[in-house]
Amino acid sequence: MSAVDGERTIPKVYGRAGVRSRAAALGAAWLALLAAGPSRADGGAEFTASVDRNEIGLDETVRLDLTLTVSSKNDSGDLQLPSFREFDVVGRSTSEQVSFAISSGAPTFKRTTVTSLTLQPHRAGTLTIEPAHVNYRGGSLSAQPITVRVLPAGQAPPPRRQAQQPPPDPFDALDPFAGHGLDPFAGVHGNSARDYTLKAAVDNDHPFVGQQVTYSLWLLARGSVSSIDKLELPKMDGFWTEEVEAPQQLVGEARVIDGVPMQVYLLRKRALFPLRAGNTTVEPAEVEVISGMGMLFQRSSSKRSSAAIPLEVQPLPAGAPAGFDPGNVGQWSLTASADPLSVADGQPVTFHLVASGRGNLRDLQLPKLPAIPGLRAYDATSTDKTNLEQGRAGGVRTLEQLLVPERTGDLEIPALVMDVFDPAAKEYRTLRTQPIHLAVKPGTGALGGSQQQAQNLLTASGQRPIRLKMTRASVGTPLWDASWFWPALLVPPGLVALLLGARRASQALSSDPGEQRVKLAASAARRRLRGAEKLLEKQKSDGSAGIEFYAEVSRALSDYLADKQGISAAGLTREELRRALAERGHSQVTIDKLTSLFDACDQARFSPGAESAAAQEAVLQRADAVLAALDGARETA
Amino acid sequence: MTRAASLAALCALAFASLAAPGAHAGPDAQLSNRLFDDANGAFLGGDLPRATAAYQALLEEGIASAELETNLATALVRSNKRGAAALHYERALFLEPGDDDARADLTELRRGNVDRLEGEAEESGVDALYRLVAFVPGRVAALGLVVCWLLACALFMLRALSPGAAGRLRTANWAALIAALVFGAMTAAAAAAHRVALQRAVVTAESAPAREGPQSHANIGFELHEGTLVRIEDEQNGFARVRLQNGLIGWAPLSALERVVPPRWN
Repeated sequence: MSAVDGERTIPKVYGRAGVRSRAAALGAAWLALLAAGPSRADGGAEFTASVDRNEIGLDETVRLDLTLTVSSKNDSGDLQLPSFREFDVVGRSTSEQVSFAISSGAPTFKRTTVTSLTLQPHRAGTLTIEPAHVNYRGGSLSAQPITVRVLPAGQAPPPRRQAQQPPPDPFDALDPFAGHGLDPFAGVHGNSARDYTLKAAVDNDHPFVGQQVTYSLWLLARGSVSSIDKLELPKMDGFWTEEVEAPQQLVGEARVIDGVPMQVYLLRKRALFPLRAGNTTVEPAEVEVISGMGMLFQRSSSKRSSAAIPLEVQPLPAGAPAGFDPGNVGQWSLTASADPLSVADGQPVTFHLVASGRGNLRDLQLPKLPAIPGLRAYDATSTDKTNLEQGRAGGVRTLEQLLVPERTGDLEIPALVMDVFDPAAKEYRTLRTQPIHLAVKPGTGALGGSQQQAQNLLTASGQRPIRLKMTRASVGTPLWDASWFWPALLVPPGLVALLLGARRASQALSSDPGEQRVKLAASAARRRLRGAEKLLEKQKSDGSAGIEFYAEVSRALSDYLADKQGISAAGLTREELRRALAERGHSQVTIDKLTSLFDACDQARFSPGAESAAAQEAVLQRADAVLAALDGARETA
Repeated sequence: MTRAASLAALCALAFASLAAPGAHAGPDAQLSNRLFDDANGAFLGGDLPRATAAYQALLEEGIASAELETNLATALVRSNKRGAAALHYERALFLEPGDDDARADLTELRRGNVDRLEGEAEESGVDALYRLVAFVPGRVAALGLVVCWLLACALFMLRALSPGAAGRLRTANWAALIAALVFGAMTAAAAAAHRVALQRAVVTAESAPAREGPQSHANIGFELHEGTLVRIEDEQNGFARVRLQNGLIGWAPLSALERVVPPRWN
């Protein structure tokens, strides 16, 4: 005879952990038989108590399942819980199952009620859970006391894995770890760190080198959280890290973990890229949790630490292509382009090589353009644009390179190849760009190559284009400050003067004195006449006699005749003088003027009278005129 | 060929060899040109820090070039370093006063200055003279003066020593003398311009106080802003007595200024 299911009551659950706890609770009811024998009462009632673990940490909880089985359809008994002096009750749930069977033609009911209590120990040591009681149909059933060993916080052995897979979680769509293999709240037992638990988790604990591991840090709170302070993240040595999420405000999400309703706050999420293969550890994070609100309620703070996370970083598999760069890990694509494709000789072409996808952008090594005959390549510049899609780091790396054609015709930018390792597919892939053809036409007046003139194509704002050809200027001490400059200017005229002076001196030394006297006669006579003029001026001022004046005029004329004409006037009579001058070709008028002048001077010298100044000036003028006439006649002769 | 013609040809050859800037075609020059090309490539590719560093490295190698100064200044403008950019444009114009690009860029840069110099149009006599004679090629003029003066002296001596040839040499002698006088005037102008250029400086600090005396506690008369061109008239206690183009005078810290003509160029 097969049993037929009757009605069944299932407690309300809030999450995957809650469902799992219900399944575990039903299984644990049978485990309780191993811990203690059941308490039986008349009327077919049976009452047992069991725990899921006999050894826990101080920061963990133990679940106590109280199972009452009665042979009644309606009467479920009255459960009396103990005081739990050594524990706090932080969670409670009840499940009930009713079944019936036909036995000997009469229906037989069986009701099983499981009450699950989540208990938080007060202290470390060996603690006893006091027995619970059930009043059923006037009788009393008692469960057996259970001893639990409580270890200091963090020293408890890991909990047993549940053999039974939980049903699908309706919250998986909201869970960033859904589908990535690891449960971020695995190992969290209710309010395992009393009111608050800091939980760190990764989505992949055996990644490849260079593959992203998402590290998340959660705060699980049973009580209210006002704020957090002094969040200290681990150093992440051995990883390249990228920030994925860093919430500025605490935004809680209600979840039931291990049967305990909690608020879960995401504190930080980071993408980690392991740099080396081998076993490594993500160190614990720390945070100070502040609870309480404002001034009406008491504020308190408590410090929490997360557990360290061991990681086993796998090396990249064997079989990497030649030239593969270990930084090229991820899902990448590669494209190349050039603009413009048709240019004049000497005009620049901009070449773009773009890698985009998911992975560690900063470690990505793009292939380099080889030397292309006929194309002058300037240094490439690289720009990165990182992005995050569904928590996965990636981005776009753009390599920009300026190319200047140096000859006309068709030029080809060859295909570029980049090998990458795809950790999702666990295989190496080769990315290849398409070759690019450039049509280079003759430029208009441009010389091409390094001699090209500056172009306006790549300039901005109101500034002129930069120069592409450099000429050196001559700088240094100006020539006029050079030590040789002024001597170079002053020495030549000095030399000329010296040379001419020496030459003149030499000529003077080598010439006839008589001839010299002849040459200088006229100027000497004029000097004497000027001397006579000065005497006249003196005479006018002091009223002295004019004897010296006439003597000087007479001497000027006599000396001139002696030096120039070779006639000694002093020793000749007037007739002899006339004859001598006539012989030398002088005119009779000049001779008359000269003799009359001599006569006037003699008369004034030897019979001084009252010669007026006007008369003296007239004598002086006559002397100049006679001298000029004599000298002119001499020159003509 | 006559003796005078031979002498003139010899002088012209010497003049050309001395007046022409030094020819640099050796390995160093090739390396410098390559670095210059790379710097230009970085500039055109948008990598301004690298372009600026490369241009400055070339300057530190002792290269004086108007193109190099202009390109560096343009890179500095793009990096919003206006004071340093103005300084290098001024240096480009010192090296090549006829450089229209550098002049236009400097004008454009000053047009973009937020803080304008009041009364800038009131140019002092010295500055006006500098602007007029800055184009005089001093080196050529000085060499021309020396050559023409030597030639005039030589011709004069020939005339004196050879009375028979005096008539034929007279015209050439006067021409050489007149040319020497013209070159002399040009040299004097260039020397005056050079003296003014040595006094010119640009404010490279973002701003600097111009005080009434060469002391840090002296009253502040006005404030200098980056890119302003000044003339240094005196130096004391780490301060420079500067005159602005509008005639304002004050004492500014030397650390805020940089001379247009660096010591290595003089």
